[in-house]
Amino acid sequence: MNIRAGRTTWMRVISLCCSLISVPLSCIAQTQSTAAILPGTPAMATAPSSESVDLPSAPEPNDQMAQTGGAGQSTQTDQQQPSQPNQQEQTKPGNAPSLGDLGFTPQQTQADAQMQAMLNKRTHMLKVHQTLGLITAIPMAATLITGPQAKAKGKNGQPITEPTAANLDLHIALGGLTTGMYFTTAYYSIFAPKIPGVKPKGAIRLHRDLEWIHGPGMILTPLLGIMAYKQENAGEKVHGIASYHGTAAYVTAAAYGASIVTVSWPIHWKFWGKQ
Amino acid sequence: MKKIILIAFVLVALPVFAQTDAQLVLEQSTLTYHMSHPMHEVNGVSHEAKGKGVCHAGQCDFLIAAPVKSFDSGDSNRDLHMVEATRGAQFPMVLVRTRFAEAVTTAPIIYVDLEVQFAGQTAHYNHVPFQRISQGNKVQISGTVPATCSDFKIDRPSFLTVPIKNDIPVRVEMTWRSM
Repeated sequence: MNIRAGRTTWMRVISLCCSLISVPLSCIAQTQSTAAILPGTPAMATAPSSESVDLPSAPEPNDQMAQTGGAGQSTQTDQQQPSQPNQQEQTKPGNAPSLGDLGFTPQQTQADAQMQAMLNKRTHMLKVHQTLGLITAIPMAATLITGPQAKAKGKNGQPITEPTAANLDLHIALGGLTTGMYFTTAYYSIFAPKIPGVKPKGAIRLHRDLEWIHGPGMILTPLLGIMAYKQENAGEKVHGIASYHGTAAYVTAAAYGASIVTVSWPIHWKFWGKQ
Repeated sequence: MKKIILIAFVLVALPVFAQTDAQLVLEQSTLTYHMSHPMHEVNGVSHEAKGKGVCHAGQCDFLIAAPVKSFDSGDSNRDLHMVEATRGAQFPMVLVRTRFAEAVTTAPIIYVDLEVQFAGQTAHYNHVPFQRISQGNKVQISGTVPATCSDFKIDRPSFLTVPIKNDIPVRVEMTWRSM
């Protein structure tokens, strides 16, 4: 009887051991078969193959279908709240991978409503900056055009022709308007929120560098203009540093114009191209 | 004795059932959006996409995601504007999901239905062709997602009061590797 009981116990132990040994063996088999069923994996494609075929064009999106949720492309409005920590975690099939499986950091996937608000404000301020900057170019050009008419003419030793009061007043008014608009434009750029960690790159760098020319120029030019005006009013020919009023104005305007062009560089004119 | 045999059977059977799962991981990728304006042609590139594919019971589910702010157009000012216009701080990831039969994965051209989540919206693109090139133990996939601004309710940015074109096709080039 004892021998029989002992045999049963041994049989149980052997059976259990066999079962436990078989588990890792079947796991190894699993990884091998996994590779075998993949297309283009080593098991299936040991040598490189070139199954390159020209692609047919992608289907054109259809706005109407998108709105109605037709058979083609459809658009659904499932606006999520900014407070949701992980966006876009929606219903998916049972085995489908999720965003969490991909290894992004929480900082990368987390919504940042404050940053969005900052970006919105930044864009708004820079749009105003852009619009005002373009408008400012108009009185600036007009000031340059009226400049020669506001200047006393005549060489040393010859009778000097004073500018008319109307020409002088017009030039001063346009200059004042340009200066006011310029600094208002600058305000919207200077006080637009700065996004931390973003280094200026591309055309914006030259746009910013040119500020160092037209910025001081827009301070210097009116000051020299005031000096020149005072000298002319005193019956003197404009002299000294005030005589550089015109030069300062031209350099400033050139830098300002270049600044407008560079921010939109490179330009590819395609107004007549296929839309 | 019967219990032990049953337990042993279960232990052996469980991994066998799990054998049908296959996984692929995105090794390299280049996503390029193209933006068109009468004065500008711009390409924004991201190499930071991550992806995973799981094939189970004859069906493959793929998920590809990329941070919106990882797209680089060569101009930091434009990139920030893009993030703002696409609500990229509020919805920082572009997510692409697709599901297709495992049998089609050996074809040189794979037609897939894509679900794209971007800018807080979801758009579906059906029957989008992707070229498949098998090279060694890797699979290269390339194609273009015909995205538009209106699909994601993006207010088109404008320059000199002229808005960009509605089409923002995204060129996809990916290299997948089996896990």
